[in-house]
Amino acid sequence: MDLSTFLMVFAIAACIYMACNIGANDVANAMGTSVGSGSLTFKQAIYVAAVAEFAGAYFVGGHVSDTIRKGMLDPEIFSDAPLHLVYGMIAALVSAALWLNIASYLGWPVSTTHSIVGAVVGFGVMAGGVDAINWGKVWSVVVSWVVSPVMGGLVAFFLFRFLTNQVFRRRNPLLYAKRILPFMVFLVCVILANAMFYKGLKNLHLDFSYPEALTYAIIFGMVGFLISKPLAKKIPDVPKKEIHKQLEATENIFKYLQITTAFYIAFAHGSNDVANAVGPLAAVVSILNSGTVAMKVAMPTWILVLGGGFIVFGLLVWGRRVMETIGSKITEITPSRGFCATFSGATVVLVCSKMGLPVSTTHTLVGSVIGVGLARGLPTLNLGIIKEIVMSWLATVPFTALLSAILFKLMLLTLG
Amino acid sequence: MRTILSMFSKSPFKPLVSHINQVNECVNLITPLFEAYQSKNYGKVEEIAKDISDLEHKADQIKSDIRQHLPQSIFLPVDKRDFMRLLSAQDDIADAVEDLAVLMRIKNIDVPEDLSKLLVDLVNYVVGLANDACNMIRELEDLLEASFGGAEAEKVEEMALHLGVGEYEADKKQFLLAQKLFSLNDLSAADLFLLNELIKKLGAVADQSEKIGKTLHMFLSR
Repeated sequence: MDLSTFLMVFAIAACIYMACNIGANDVANAMGTSVGSGSLTFKQAIYVAAVAEFAGAYFVGGHVSDTIRKGMLDPEIFSDAPLHLVYGMIAALVSAALWLNIASYLGWPVSTTHSIVGAVVGFGVMAGGVDAINWGKVWSVVVSWVVSPVMGGLVAFFLFRFLTNQVFRRRNPLLYAKRILPFMVFLVCVILANAMFYKGLKNLHLDFSYPEALTYAIIFGMVGFLISKPLAKKIPDVPKKEIHKQLEATENIFKYLQITTAFYIAFAHGSNDVANAVGPLAAVVSILNSGTVAMKVAMPTWILVLGGGFIVFGLLVWGRRVMETIGSKITEITPSRGFCATFSGATVVLVCSKMGLPVSTTHTLVGSVIGVGLARGLPTLNLGIIKEIVMSWLATVPFTALLSAILFKLMLLTLG
Repeated sequence: MRTILSMFSKSPFKPLVSHINQVNECVNLITPLFEAYQSKNYGKVEEIAKDISDLEHKADQIKSDIRQHLPQSIFLPVDKRDFMRLLSAQDDIADAVEDLAVLMRIKNIDVPEDLSKLLVDLVNYVVGLANDACNMIRELEDLLEASFGGAEAEKVEEMALHLGVGEYEADKKQFLLAQKLFSLNDLSAADLFLLNELIKKLGAVADQSEKIGKTLHMFLSR
């Protein structure tokens, strides 16, 4: 086997390892609230996640990728020795995946995006020195540590406040929940469809301009509205006096909404995070095929399918266990609270990734859970665990950077 | 392996309800206790006193469990001090009931005929009030679900108001009973003292019931 075949196989294996870890680590975080509140059984959650993650990865996951994710590193420094970039990408994939593996074992919801970003910075510094790094881009990633949880938190806080005032604090919460349901369905459909139609669906060769995409998204939303309205009307009423039953029936409505948002977050996650696994592989493939380093590389469909496929594989094989544990435990989250957290998280991720901000699905979700808690939505919030989570976020970049620098150096020494 | 769900610790509201269930069982023994006492069935008094002390002990265990699991790093949707105040009000009810049983075991007294009717009246009233307070705690979960507002909040507000009025009524009954007690001339000093203590403990149960209502009222959003 010659070197380039070997590297190709190695890179594909590393990409598979990364994709499996993304599936295993993140699916539990994305779907956890739905399983915890009992809106979905763990099996249903697995199926929803599998379909949505793959759809998100394949349809919206990106057609063209920057050679180096988020342009943090100048690919020019590798123009004399393109193979070194291949080593670097492999080192980055392996280190990021290893960190994800460790983090899932320890129960830290870390960001896949930040793992790969740290790893790229690591081998970049080793290859081209400190000047090779575009620190401005790295800074924007650091800013997103603050931005994504804060955005998730703010949206969740105000959404929960809104629902509190519009539904739960009414004398007849069920009636208002039934009224609000079609509008929420509309909102979910529009944001989801907009993300798909605008710059998404490249694989179907639909190139819509933004106004076109928005129009189709609104039409899609209207369809959702019109379907859910008669369904909401069919839900039987409960006498006003029976407050407990009223609240129960209201939560039941939110179950449907939560299932919709579970699909939504898995979709957003697939579209946002697949690039972390397939981006480096696409770069490797392009270099090995052409022998040169390009600024942007085309994303071959087979790589997207591979990435999406193994994210699903990872969640089926390892994520499954975590989900089962969640399903068997009594958690203190109800469908309405879970809906708020998930909906806010997914919306922030979809909107921010369309704006090109490197946000983390996991960080955003952690923020939105805290947001619901601060709006008096949860019986408790464990601030001690949150501190631990933030520490693990801070550890992500140094760890993957160091590991990928070491791996890169090792490959340079052994492979030349 | 943990997930973001580890951000939720166990809800302290559920053990609070388990605690009030123990307290409620104590409260429900007050009437049989007084019945046995007034019918001079002292063996039965001992028996009930034992049951009360067991229940109080169980309640105590739940209380310290809640305290241990409520470190500084837990964020609650209500003021943590109010939460603790609620817990100690609940616990004080159980303590007062236990004290009643202890007082009855100190000395066997003939409850004067003139006093009996008023005493039974006060006992029944206080037991009813304490039961209402216990039921209020059971509303907590729905109150949380309703985000401390809406029809559920109105219900809780009404209950708190009712407990406040009830405590005032209990005070009046307590006063009438004390007046009667001190107007009896043929009681020994020891009997007078013990009966007065019993009446005061019944008053304490009513006071703590009102406190539960007041504290829960503070949880409501304004």
